[in-house]
This record gives sequence, structure tokens and C-alpha cells, in this order.
Amino acid sequence: MPLLSNGAARGAALIFAAGIAAPGQAHGVIGQRFFPATITTDDPFAADELALPTVSWFDHETSVDFDYSKTILPGFAIEVGMGHVSVHEPGEPRARGFDNLEISPSVEVYRSPAHEFILTTGLEWEVGGTGSRSVAERSSTYTPTVKFGKGFGDLPDSLKYLRPLAVTGTVGYSIPGGGDEPKSIEWGGAIQYSLLYLQNNVRDEGLGRFVSHLTPLVEFAFSSPTRSGAGRTTGTINPGVIWSGQRVQLAAEAMIPVNRASGHGTGFIAQLHFYIDDLFPHSLGRPIFGGRQ
Amino acid sequence: MNLRVLACCALAGLAAPASAHALLDHAKPGAGAVLHAPPASVTLLFSDDLDPESTVAVVDGSGHSVATGRVTVAGNCIMAPLRPLRPGKYRVVWHAVSMDDHRTQGAYEFAVKP
Repeated sequence: MPLLSNGAARGAALIFAAGIAAPGQAHGVIGQRFFPATITTDDPFAADELALPTVSWFDHETSVDFDYSKTILPGFAIEVGMGHVSVHEPGEPRARGFDNLEISPSVEVYRSPAHEFILTTGLEWEVGGTGSRSVAERSSTYTPTVKFGKGFGDLPDSLKYLRPLAVTGTVGYSIPGGGDEPKSIEWGGAIQYSLLYLQNNVRDEGLGRFVSHLTPLVEFAFSSPTRSGAGRTTGTINPGVIWSGQRVQLAAEAMIPVNRASGHGTGFIAQLHFYIDDLFPHSLGRPIFGGRQ
Repeated sequence: MNLRVLACCALAGLAAPASAHALLDHAKPGAGAVLHAPPASVTLLFSDDLDPESTVAVVDGSGHSVATGRVTVAGNCIMAPLRPLRPGKYRVVWHAVSMDDHRTQGAYEFAVKP
């Protein structure tokens, strides 16, 4: 079964090929801070990166996803994502197939290197009808989103051991395109502690190369319907760890539902992530138009 | 195009000759170090080779430079020779430029005890 429709595949191929053009920009770096790419919280950087695969098991559902983000201009990127889902609710037949294609342009609107702060806006478009009928919605959903990242490297000396802390967050307003599906606020974030920041900027603890590249974190992802009677807030809290290498990173997290409506039992999610700008600095890793910021 | 093709494209990149962001791998003296003997230099080792445009500055508590002579950049290393340091706190500020022009920066402090 093809992963993408013909049109989507041609689009993805064009995006890949067009990347062979101009200089690129740093992934996840602002000021002295490096933000690793988090799994459930879309990071606030318009960067060249590939998540392949993201694998999750949670509440009778297994999914394998990929996401590819391509910079078009410095500070402007378009992300394309799709996944395969298998759902097996107790007492019901298994449903499996490809989920809808998602296309998400994003623009960095404000950067403050001194305060390790970045603000990004974007739109997530789940393209209805591009996935399998058994698991995917037929109508599209549009989610205007605001994303931010803030590192705490500007804390005073008395709080220097908190400087490796950083937070990222997203807030989106999800608008289903069809029928009477309820609108919802999609919100989440990540609280992370960079051992690399601790080692290089605060105190050399002699952690060694592997350990110093770890970032323990807790992510959370929630959905809150805006219409009364449309259900309660659901979501998961995901404690885990990211190992960031020079060109790839690995992340693994538990998924803990916040209430019964969110699911049953603890799940697991893991991701292999490639920094395309470091893997292909002279071709795919550059914006199609414009120079490096 | 399918998932396997995308995976192959990505994995092939692991073997591709590429430069990357230069991340600080090791510093001497390191961040937060408390020294009983003043160091003769500050040496920073990075994860990738550096462009000669890379720099490091070492300043005292008043913001005055305590470097002497030229900062040298060779391979993945930056070295700044220092004049004899008095007891006190010092700040190291570095800007690294990798061979493919990716830029990273950092800063940390160390102290010299009486």
C-alpha cells in the first residue's frame, strides 16, 4: 500500500529535490541553548529535520509515523507528516490503515538569543480523505497554532543550577472542516533539563560524552473541547529522555493518561530523529530560498 | 515514494561526508572549575572542525580581557593564552563557526583561588 497519494508523493519529492539550493539555518539553536526536538510537542523551530519513525503504543492503538520538515526560507518551513495506525478496541474488530496526511507550515516570528526565547506561529492542516477510510477522517481539520521555546540561561548566579532548564509549548485552536464535530483547544508542552547545558555552561560535572548529551524531560499533550457537553479535557503526561547526537537523536517516553477518558494503562512512544541540516549541510539542509539567518 | 525510500534517503546521510554544528565537547579549565593554580591558557575542544573565524574571549570580573597573544584555531580546537591570573572569577565566551558556517556560542565561568 502506498504511504502517500500520488500528488502528495510528488509534492514530497519536489520538496526534497528543491532543497539542493541555498544555505541553511541551525536546528533548535537559539543563543547558547540547544532545544532537542520533542516527540509530542512540536518544537518552535523552522528547521530541516526528519522524524522517522515515531512509534507509539497506547490505549489499544499502535502507530508508526514519519514527519519531514523542509525550510523554504530562513525562518519558514513546511512539515509533511503521515502515519500508519492500528486500533484494536476490546470486543471490536481491528482497524488499521494510513492516517490522513498532515501539512504544517510554520514561521518564526520572534527570536531573542540573549534570553533563549523563540516564538513561532503556524497552521496544522490534516487533509481529510487522504488516509484509509477505516481509521482516518474524511473531512479536514485546521489548527492555527502558536509555539514557543524559552531557556533559563539568563537566571542569576544564585539559581545557576536551574539554567539548564527550558520549556517549550504549543497552543492551537482545532477547527474541524466537516459536520458538527466540536472545536477544541490543543495544548501541550515540555519541561526539559539539558545535561549538555549543565556541563558546558554551568559546571563541568565530568558526565562523559554519552550522559552529557541526555535531556530528561516531561511532555504533556492535552485536548480541551470548547463546546459544553462535548466531553472533558483529555491527554497524557509523558516523562522520558532524549539523547542528542551530532546528526541524530533518540527519544523515548512513557505515556500516562491524565484521566479515564484519556485512555487506559501506560503507553510508550519512541522516536528516531535526523538533523537534515547537519546531514546534508550543502543540499537538503538549506532553505530553498535565501541565506542563513 | 514509500516509507522505505524515505528511510534509505535518511540513513544514507549518516555516511555522507558532512559537517555539522560544532558543539563544545571539552573545555580546560571547565565550566565552574575552581583552580588553585592559575591556568596558562583556555583550551576548547569541539565536536567538529572549526572555521578560523571562531573566537574565544576570557575576561575578568571587571570585563577586561586577560588573554595575551593570539587566539589560535586549529582543527576542532581553540586556544587562548592567558596572562598570569590573580585570584578571582573569570568568564569564557566563545563563538564557534563550523566549516559549513553553522554558528554556535556559549559562555561559562571559572575561578582561581588564592
